[in-house]
Amino acid sequence: MGGDIAIVGIGETPYSRARVKKGEIVMSAEEYTAWAASLALEDSGLTKGDMDGQGLAVVGSEWPHSEIWSAEIVQNLGFKPKLLLRGDFGGTNAVELIVQAAAALKAGMVDYVLFAGGDSPMLPPGENPNRTWRYELDYMRPFGLMGFISLAALMMQRHMYLYGTKQEHFGKIAVTQREHARLNPNAYVKTPMTMEDYLNSRILSDPLRMFDSTLFVNGGLAFILTKKELADKHAKNPIYILGYGLVHNYAEGDPALPDITTTGVKVAARDSLEMACISREKLDFLQLYDDFTGAVLMQIEDIGFCNKGEGGKFVEQTDISYRGTLPVNTGGGLISNGQPGMAAGFVQVVEAVKQLRGEAMNRQVNGARIGLVSGLGALAYGSNFANAGALILGVEP
Amino acid sequence: MNERKYEKPLPEVTPLTKPFWDSTKRHELVVQRCKSCGRYIWYPKAWCPFCGSRELEWAKVSGLGTVYAATTTRIVAGNSPAWGEELPYTIAIVDMDEGFRMYGRVVDVKPEEVEVGMRVEIYFEDATEEIAIPIFRPLEKKK
Repeated sequence: MGGDIAIVGIGETPYSRARVKKGEIVMSAEEYTAWAASLALEDSGLTKGDMDGQGLAVVGSEWPHSEIWSAEIVQNLGFKPKLLLRGDFGGTNAVELIVQAAAALKAGMVDYVLFAGGDSPMLPPGENPNRTWRYELDYMRPFGLMGFISLAALMMQRHMYLYGTKQEHFGKIAVTQREHARLNPNAYVKTPMTMEDYLNSRILSDPLRMFDSTLFVNGGLAFILTKKELADKHAKNPIYILGYGLVHNYAEGDPALPDITTTGVKVAARDSLEMACISREKLDFLQLYDDFTGAVLMQIEDIGFCNKGEGGKFVEQTDISYRGTLPVNTGGGLISNGQPGMAAGFVQVVEAVKQLRGEAMNRQVNGARIGLVSGLGALAYGSNFANAGALILGVEP
Repeated sequence: MNERKYEKPLPEVTPLTKPFWDSTKRHELVVQRCKSCGRYIWYPKAWCPFCGSRELEWAKVSGLGTVYAATTTRIVAGNSPAWGEELPYTIAIVDMDEGFRMYGRVVDVKPEEVEVGMRVEIYFEDATEEIAIPIFRPLEKKK
């Protein structure tokens, strides 16, 4: 692919958990989608009218969850796209839609694709829409599983059992990401956290702690993709997509009895680096999908920074902060930035663009020129994630 | 049957899944097996996910398996509050002897005593007159 496509505008709204008594704002997924889109358009110097006849990519909203949500968004917000894309890929929504949009841009179907991701999983407060997989309703909830919490805990337990991984290893990831969130003006969680705080935090399902887990927030993120030929016509420096990789239903070993400590990012990251013609040592940072700390640790192994099973020791011995040798999740990640529902994967993309533009302020990775973004989506029955993807972004095509 | 109303979630029984739920009601474990490649399939699928054959049959299996991973559940989240009365309890991934993988609770053993590699057997809790839910317990009771 080699830099044919670029990101020329980004937008990120403030986040909220819709706690009215604490003065937090309450907005719908649709309002966040519009807000984020307007911020990205402004950032790029484009207008809503410029998007007529172009591409629009939206994410499957968790609320409201209507059957044909993309057309509802188009109608309600008055978009007139030629190409309409909707992600139902969970944590890989951003990566998968970027790959689809890049194909349409390269085919000459459109010149721009606006990615508008908004979601309000915390709205309305107290209500819990029944939004999940058929197999969870039939073969998980009646069997006593607590969804994400059970599956994340089982992955971490298996990793600890096989490799002697310690809770402090997961803790280092949580503590580092919290430090990043405290340096990120837009991150939701700002409370300081020490390793002691982490080790004293509530266990949800052994060994998964509250501070290992993603935090749902309401919010929106957006960005704009265009072709290389148009990339320099915008207000900010373009950030190029140098490579990508996608894999679905990946299983390490026997597909019926897979190793749940290895994710599809192993394949997706390898493919994305090959397409970009670079080695992983060239990466200045990683924005890894982090619905829990264990996913970060597994991906560091899967990308190949150490052997499978050595992630705990690697994290212990490596500075993964923004000033370290391998900066990871420099904006706080989903764990401390917050996870805006199904727009989750947009968080990693927008943070990567900020780093590569040099706009990350107090958490800026010095001299960042190239970085990796990953996505993991759809918790699988008997495995880990059904969807996995990776992108390589850089300042030069 | 229990006189108390069963408040935990129940599965939806469809034509595809009815043979499975009929078997659990008889306290037997029956899963799909591919007539073409011979693999056992859990949960019920529309064709063999390994080879694509639509020639599937229902086969009685041993109900024996080995714990692959286990976690002690300490809170209710994303499931019915009715589970609260059971906390804490163990959820495990169990690799069944016939080569398929199931999730389930492991009971009749303290959560901290459930270990990877533990041999377990399936049994069935009669939730309603129509539905019995598979549960695991240690194969060889200690003491």
